[in-house]
Amino acid sequence: MDIRRLVNRIAEAMGSNADPARIEAVAAAVLDALDTDAAAPPRATSVKTPGERVIVTAYGHDKPGILAGITNTVSGAGCNILDVSQKILQEYFTLIMIADISALHGSVRDLQNQLTDVADRLDVRIMVQHEDLFESMHRP
Amino acid sequence: MSYEIREVLDTVRMTEMERFDIRTITLGVSLRDCSSTLPQTVRARVYDKIRRTAAHHVAVAEEVEALYGVQIANKRVSVTPIALVADHLSSADMIGLAQILDTAAEHVGIDFIAGFSALVERGMTRGDQALLEALPSALATTQRVCASVNCGSTTAGINTDAVLQLAEVITETARLTAEHDSVGCARLVGFCNAVPDNPFVAGAFHGPSEPEAVINVGISGPGVVLRTVRELGTDTCFSDLCEAIKRTAFKITRAGELIGRRCAERLGQRTGIPIKFGIVDLSLAPTAEEGDSVGEILIAMGLEDVGAPGTTAALAMLVESVKKGGAMAASRVGGLSGTFIPVSEDLAMIRAAERGHLSIEKLEAMTAVCSLGLDMIAIPGDTPAETIAGVYLDEFAIGMINNKTTACRLIPVHGKRVGEYAEWGGLLGRAPIMPLPRLSSRVFARRGGRIPAPIRSLTN
Repeated sequence: MDIRRLVNRIAEAMGSNADPARIEAVAAAVLDALDTDAAAPPRATSVKTPGERVIVTAYGHDKPGILAGITNTVSGAGCNILDVSQKILQEYFTLIMIADISALHGSVRDLQNQLTDVADRLDVRIMVQHEDLFESMHRP
Repeated sequence: MSYEIREVLDTVRMTEMERFDIRTITLGVSLRDCSSTLPQTVRARVYDKIRRTAAHHVAVAEEVEALYGVQIANKRVSVTPIALVADHLSSADMIGLAQILDTAAEHVGIDFIAGFSALVERGMTRGDQALLEALPSALATTQRVCASVNCGSTTAGINTDAVLQLAEVITETARLTAEHDSVGCARLVGFCNAVPDNPFVAGAFHGPSEPEAVINVGISGPGVVLRTVRELGTDTCFSDLCEAIKRTAFKITRAGELIGRRCAERLGQRTGIPIKFGIVDLSLAPTAEEGDSVGEILIAMGLEDVGAPGTTAALAMLVESVKKGGAMAASRVGGLSGTFIPVSEDLAMIRAAERGHLSIEKLEAMTAVCSLGLDMIAIPGDTPAETIAGVYLDEFAIGMINNKTTACRLIPVHGKRVGEYAEWGGLLGRAPIMPLPRLSSRVFARRGGRIPAPIRSLTN
């Protein structure tokens, strides 16, 4: 494992959010995961930042502006977007976003309400669910 | 991403498309400190205790709903069996207490409060007697109060005097609530081996050995299990089918426990009263919505309709698989943990009853392998009390001998006959009036006394 390359990649991925302490925390988590769980099934990353996270899922007919609409709302509510994955199959799209809600303005319900407005405008479905639900169902 | 896309979509599909919800978050409240010889003091203490403990119950459950995007269908309260709290009261005062429970339930924003109950399997105190006498008027003059009477257990046998009196109470309640198709009887459950931590109203009560306040959770999810069974197709063997149901039950139970714990934590913080997390009840509970039916699961397993030979085996397999998957997932399980087969609240069951595929005898056989008994079954309004008592005695005998909970909730719909419908609306749904045998049980039901407890060896 080339540590310098790992650190550079983390810094690149964090963009303007990068600072030495966070890069170190992420790198330590990656090394730790590799060390203890070498045979684990491949996942994009196993990065876990401190604080609470939600998973935003959206699906529906593909059209321009969906990712932008969701990203603006989630960021505007004070969340830090950690990861986004989007798939388009024929004319349908599915989007999954992980966001840190440590600095969220208001409650998760408020965020859901704002995203429901976006969803109504774009005629898609958007859900916000706390990460613990997925953790409990799929990471017992 | 720390979760695979497949996993995220699996959960989203359950909550979005398969009606996976938490069926009930039930706050159990002890009323043991509300006793007094003065009826007005009991009323004031009971009202105050429920208001103090449950004031934020609905708001907290709604917050947790929003946090996880999982609907909590019912937010309810159960209390210490009222006969224990108000043993000094006359039956007229018991009616007044039921009305106070109704008012308290309304003021804390819940649709049902359960625990207007008596545990009389070994005999009755004056308070138990007063409560039973009060029941018809108590149910007729309230909308939210649910009642139950435990008439038997494996260790005590069956108190047949209580069963006959309960049957008479049912007949009278049916008459008093005739205007609404005898709906009062839908809030009255008879039990053998009643459990103290059951979160499912109408049969819930907060057992005398329970802590001050506790949150118990009833999971749901027939829709999720139905999808699992359908996806496997028709040529999968039983062991693979069971494995798949176990995995599904595991996931929904994990979600149920998480949500229950969060509700207990938050409610404790909000009220300043320590609120414990109790148990997860591993029961599949249907609703009268398309795709949320236990009967449909049985059909998806390969039966032409509910009631076909094989139905009891299919139900036994389903209940066992849900329990096995759920027991691995939760730290504490309890309650009824079986599967509800209420005729009026399950579309496939209603259809099977309408077509004549499902008789009361077949339902009785099914209840021998799932813990809930004959639930929400509409019968002709002119059914004699002794016949109702006979059906309850049969059902309680199954519970007593097999060391399991059985419940009975029959509704003799006043003025209606076989071929007509009881229309209750809302959660209670509608049900065709089902025929009962016309044979008389009069002499048998009127013998009185106790059917002794069974021997626990020589178990064939």
